[in-house]
Amino acid sequence: MRFINDLNLKKQADELGVSVWQTPGFLFIVLGLVAAAVMAATFYLSQNYGSPEVLILSECAVAILVLTVGNSVIRVFEQMAKVNKMKSEFVSVASHQLRTPLSAIRWETELLLSKFKKGLSEKQVKNIESISLLSARMTRLVNDLLDVTRIDQKRLLMKKEPVNVSALAEESIAEMSDLAKSRNVEIIFIPKKNMPKITGDREKIKMVMENLIGNSVKYTTNRGKIEIKVFKKDNSIVFSIKDNGVGIPEEQQNRIFDKFFRSDNCVKYQTDGTGLGLYIAKSIVEQSGGEMWFKSVENLGSIFNFKLPIK
Amino acid sequence: MEKKKILIVEDEASLHESLGEFLSAEGFEVLNAYDGEEGLAIVREKKLDLVLLDIILPKKDGYEVLAEIRKDEEMKNVPVILLTNLESAEDVQKAFEKGATTYLVKSDYKMEEVAEKIKETLKK
Repeated sequence: MRFINDLNLKKQADELGVSVWQTPGFLFIVLGLVAAAVMAATFYLSQNYGSPEVLILSECAVAILVLTVGNSVIRVFEQMAKVNKMKSEFVSVASHQLRTPLSAIRWETELLLSKFKKGLSEKQVKNIESISLLSARMTRLVNDLLDVTRIDQKRLLMKKEPVNVSALAEESIAEMSDLAKSRNVEIIFIPKKNMPKITGDREKIKMVMENLIGNSVKYTTNRGKIEIKVFKKDNSIVFSIKDNGVGIPEEQQNRIFDKFFRSDNCVKYQTDGTGLGLYIAKSIVEQSGGEMWFKSVENLGSIFNFKLPIK
Repeated sequence: MEKKKILIVEDEASLHESLGEFLSAEGFEVLNAYDGEEGLAIVREKKLDLVLLDIILPKKDGYEVLAEIRKDEEMKNVPVILLTNLESAEDVQKAFEKGATTYLVKSDYKMEEVAEKIKETLKK
């Protein structure tokens, strides 16, 4: 089946965005035909003429032919690699270009809310506040897109610094406490002292924690409870977050780490999000030498864990 | 007490308006430059307390401006905060190699936080 599929040159050409005679499949067929023709010709020549000069000449001709076809195969691959690179560069340039007007919007609204608030009515303040929140959300989306391009290009650089995971968890919880309060969700965490530090990128690990806490809060309805634990297990530090939220439907559990995937519950509970958070979080954990896993039962809640090695 | 003089080198006019106005309200004297050459000329001419410098700029980019400031005997001690939307590790590293005092990514900071960083830097 795969072989037949490989022979569908038209489809290949469309997918790769090149003309049919440039597809690797076509060029390999040409290469094969050349090789077969050459073998037949050499056989014919050796039978009928048998002189070493003719043989050497025909072999030279073969070498030139193979090199020419081989060269165009390589060129097609180069072209494909270039197109791929251009695509990533486009996303990266576009994201950077978006950030400039976005920061301008955020700063203009901040100026209004901080220095000119007196002249504004309550309604106006509310409107400007929502502009501010929305542009912050868009900035996050752009940042996520940039991170994803970097992950896909294997260019996400990670710092190597000593990190106290328990203290970092406390910080992340503090950052998310407003969101939790607004949703009437309680976060329980008892920090442990004297935990060994791990080596990793502090800011990025914090991003992972905030993503997990954010998810738990968003998918936990009123009077929910979130329990966070940080503990040492074997040669790793484990971060574990348990909620009594809506959970993830079983049939969708194998897709939650996919790029842009959003579970049905996202729509049902109208949470905002891009479907990039868990993909980025898992990539960061794995690039730090760790692992991420979860367990979830629909309508009962979820437990998300990640562990990072102590070095 | 005399007002501290801050130069904003930035090609986006609206950022001059918002950040300039915010910093004036915070009690700074704010000067504006819209490209690298203009920025460098002002740093040379006026006695500044601090420079806020973008990286992608017309005529001379932020790295060049920074390198020239650090090479010049008279200007080399002025604190320079890079304020840009480039945030790759390579850019940050390059900026510090050229002598940046601090590096801030615009879209990650509120103006209030930028002002905080400026005050911190001026105290040192």
